[in-house]
Amino acid sequence: MNNIWGSMEQYDPVVWNWIIAVYLFMAGLSAGSMLVAIGLKWYKQSRGLPTEGLPVIKAAAVIGPVAICLGMALLVLDLTKPFEFYHILLNYNLTSVMAWGVIALLVYIPLVFVFAALVFEKQVLHFAPWLAGVLKVCRQLEGSLNKLIFALALGVGVYTGFLLSAMISYPILNTAVLPALFLASAMSVGSAGNILVATLFFSKKESDCIEQVHRIEYPVAFNEALCLVLLFVGLNFSGPAAQAATAAITTGAWASVFWIGVVGLGLVVPVLASTLAPKAWRHTKGFLITVSCSTILGVLALRHFVVYAGQSYIS
Amino acid sequence: MTKRYVLVHDENKCIGCQACNVACRSENNVPESVTRLQVRIEGPYGNFPHLHFKYNRVSCEQCENAPCVKVCPTGAAYVNDDGIVSINEGKCVGCLYCVAACPYKVRFINPETRVPDKCDFCKESRLARGEEPACVSVCPTDALTFGDANDLNSEVRKLLDTKQNYQQKVNLGTEPRVYRIPSRRGGIKA
Ligand code: SF4
Ligand code: SF4
Repeated sequence: MNNIWGSMEQYDPVVWNWIIAVYLFMAGLSAGSMLVAIGLKWYKQSRGLPTEGLPVIKAAAVIGPVAICLGMALLVLDLTKPFEFYHILLNYNLTSVMAWGVIALLVYIPLVFVFAALVFEKQVLHFAPWLAGVLKVCRQLEGSLNKLIFALALGVGVYTGFLLSAMISYPILNTAVLPALFLASAMSVGSAGNILVATLFFSKKESDCIEQVHRIEYPVAFNEALCLVLLFVGLNFSGPAAQAATAAITTGAWASVFWIGVVGLGLVVPVLASTLAPKAWRHTKGFLITVSCSTILGVLALRHFVVYAGQSYIS
Repeated sequence: MTKRYVLVHDENKCIGCQACNVACRSENNVPESVTRLQVRIEGPYGNFPHLHFKYNRVSCEQCENAPCVKVCPTGAAYVNDDGIVSINEGKCVGCLYCVAACPYKVRFINPETRVPDKCDFCKESRLARGEEPACVSVCPTDALTFGDANDLNSEVRKLLDTKQNYQQKVNLGTEPRVYRIPSRRGGIKA
């Protein structure tokens, strides 16, 4: 349309697009898979069980570094000045959530590589024997390193939510529930990703650790659903602009993404599958792969829904 | 901060002619596809035969508590000594966080510099020479008044002390420095 005052194109409220949604997904996946793997390790250790060579931990050692690096690559390519991204490493404005995220990631990323190197120590030493000394030191510090990685992974998961909630004029984004929602969904995509990679590449027999990862899926799914309910019920009580934003789940294309993707694939399918499916299926490869893919798609849909629907309603 | 530059837009006097918009474009070499300033003609409001339009100036509000400055990871978006929200092109990486965070949606990426751009009250050109911003000086109806609100004798101060005025989205706590004198005409939704 031609207005007397000119084009409205630059006023599109959707500024961050799918690239950011995929980045947020990747960061959540990496952080979630680390949280689940380290949590499982502690659980086993506290019961005096062996933790060496667990397929789920091997899977996390692959997902953790790969997902965060892919995510960072996307993020840098999405900058309008990708070749000058180093400025973000030199200047820190500490009122910015993004600056805190950069600090957390600067420590987190090298540490997940250390985690992976310790899990695949044999393979690493085969290709790079000169790392033996470094790995030995890391192995001695492993306990503290794991605690640090766990804390940083929590930070990364939560930060992706705060990144969006700091934008004060979007009612769906500007809520305290968002970081909690992102953390819960990071845990579910992390466990689903671990199960997927473990079944595809690392597990030789039906493995009991998959069972334990399954066990955390219920509370996580419950928390995720609770956060979603809180988010939209909260909006309903927060004034006219926020109320108008609840239309995000009733009308338009993003409502379908929400109900089919986020609720259907992300919550209903996995919960029904693990409650109703006959026992005989539950450890078949096909079943595990299908259910974890469903969860992963659900979380991917959640990130897209939040990024797009979140920015479409402005107060 | 010694200066507190504010802009007052009198919506009774404004006729939506876009002279300010055009003057801004030529003064600041704003590329064709983007714009720092629009006066949107919204409405009609009221009921027939008492219809009227609203003239809504859309440009950087120079927030005293600016969300764009708060979210910028590198400090490229910053507040100058004169209180004018500015952009340090060298530090900016183009993450668009500020563009997304601005509640007034007035930041845009300049296609030539690849850096966010917006109204800066013509601070480097006209203000530096002691002149008023281009939009203010060109307005045919004198709908715009610009000045330092810390100066008790300034025109803006007198205007704001004597006339009803409002700012947009005050509930967000941004403390915008663009003040508006509302249209006197009333109306209720049909
Ligand atoms: S109006 Fe937008 S760009 Fe201008 S100071 Fe406020 S937040 Fe920043
Ligand atoms: S786009 Fe530039 S000015 Fe805006 S927040 Fe990012 S680094 Fe700061």
